[in-house]
Amino acid sequence: MDLYLPIAQMSVQWLVILGMGFGVGFLSGVFGIGGGFLLTPLLIFYGIPPGVAVATTASQVSASTFSGVLAHWRKRAVDLKMGCVMLAGGLLGTGIGVYLFAVLRRMGQSEFSVSASYVILLGSVGAIMLNESARALMAVNEGKRPGGGRPGRHRWIHRLPCKMRFRQSRLYISAIPPVLLGFVVGVLSAIMGVGGAFLMVPVMIYVLRMPTNVVVGTSMFQVLFVTAAATILHAIDNHTVDIALAFALIAGGVFGVQYGVRVGSRLRGEQLRFFLALLVLAVASRLFYEMVAVPADLYSVTMGTP
Amino acid sequence: MRCAFAFAALLLAACPAAAEESLVAGVSQDVVQISSTYTGTDLTVFGAIEQPSEGGVGDIVVVVRGPDAMTTVRRKDRIAGVWINNARARLLMPSYYFVASTRRLDSVAGRDVLGRYGLGLSNLRPDSAVSDGDPAPFENALIRAQARARLYAQNTTGVEMLSNTLFRVKVPIPAGVPRGPYNVQVYLFRDGTVVSAQSTPLYVDQTGFERGLYDFSRDRPFTYGLVTVLLGIAMGWMSTFFFRRGA
Repeated sequence: MDLYLPIAQMSVQWLVILGMGFGVGFLSGVFGIGGGFLLTPLLIFYGIPPGVAVATTASQVSASTFSGVLAHWRKRAVDLKMGCVMLAGGLLGTGIGVYLFAVLRRMGQSEFSVSASYVILLGSVGAIMLNESARALMAVNEGKRPGGGRPGRHRWIHRLPCKMRFRQSRLYISAIPPVLLGFVVGVLSAIMGVGGAFLMVPVMIYVLRMPTNVVVGTSMFQVLFVTAAATILHAIDNHTVDIALAFALIAGGVFGVQYGVRVGSRLRGEQLRFFLALLVLAVASRLFYEMVAVPADLYSVTMGTP
Repeated sequence: MRCAFAFAALLLAACPAAAEESLVAGVSQDVVQISSTYTGTDLTVFGAIEQPSEGGVGDIVVVVRGPDAMTTVRRKDRIAGVWINNARARLLMPSYYFVASTRRLDSVAGRDVLGRYGLGLSNLRPDSAVSDGDPAPFENALIRAQARARLYAQNTTGVEMLSNTLFRVKVPIPAGVPRGPYNVQVYLFRDGTVVSAQSTPLYVDQTGFERGLYDFSRDRPFTYGLVTVLLGIAMGWMSTFFFRRGA
């Protein structure tokens, strides 16, 4: 049976969309990730226009993040002050990102920009994760404890002005790095439809040196509002949010997550990261291949004068 | 517009000759309603040749055009090893185009005549074209893309002669045709020239829930975005209760 997407103005198989939502939800349950960075390329591979894929994925991410924020909030694992400081940068970044996306779309370069940012980001994140998890797996095989050499204190962070006290994170640091981090993730949300946790969580742990128990909750807090803002701004500037596509993806996703969490709890961390790294690299190579391979049709048609 | 002017001029020219050979034609529906579950339908154009002259029947050509739409066509070029949109053209072309005839169009009339009335996919030219370089490859690319989407079609045996004077044409209206005023034009050709013509308007309208959603997203984008986010969040949140009970 077909599902007609009112904004993308095309018919899709609703089972395929539900399946994609389920699959990505499953993987995000297994790996504890948002899944936006897998969903956007999948939708593009299926033939959804990149603009619609990005904006609609943002709405799916905000929907699937909400229950996570709620759970962490109840456990008092959200540093509200840190979250709001990051959010200030995040909302600014989203606004600029959506504006940038609209400009690129009018130039006919939005498709290329989305692909290129995915290849660069997924390629580097995947490579780092593969390297790290392969070392961890080898260390486990040799009978050593994984993890180990922690990097030294980042002195530069303590020399920055505008210091603020973050009680819940037990930190007294400048507000500039969190605002900057939020800003970068906001731009990524707008252009790629991702939540950005894959970038945010490592920086919060290793650079901001937040305690790990509040990192996930706080990053989810930021992701929730930034992706919600990205959705609304895309709806206003680019008219690319497809409500039918979003609901089908969310419906598939909520089931997928439940099963994914059960499977994920049976796998070891380094194995999980190893498989995730392979998955990320596979998506990046497919996108890269499409950028360099001779296209089936050199010409593309867009209705109207975007 | 060029086609419309040519058509008007033709009608004026055809009027004094009305006592001779002429056309009467009609369309099975004058409004086509397209809903979101619509999978496409056939529209029937039928007609008769009045007072046919001696020496056999002429050729009938039926053209259905959708509203003109501005379209951007882009060409990818390889830049630093990567295929990237580089050149573009803006073309004003009909959003839907169907032509049917009694036989091959090139045997009905000469290229110049077919070109003047825009008959046949290879004779379809944009009313305005702004392009980087030669517009022809962009036009051909647009026609190819529209043919793939089944929005442009040509059927050289599509006009069915039911008798010497009665004819019928099935016009395929696929899903996804744009809304707006359409125009059905019927031409009677004899010896390579148009001897009679008739134009009938047709309106294609999109209805249904999905169309409502589209209008909502255009008319009140902020509310639409907010509703999408809030309903999505509500869906995600409610699912947690569902699974808590199920577990």
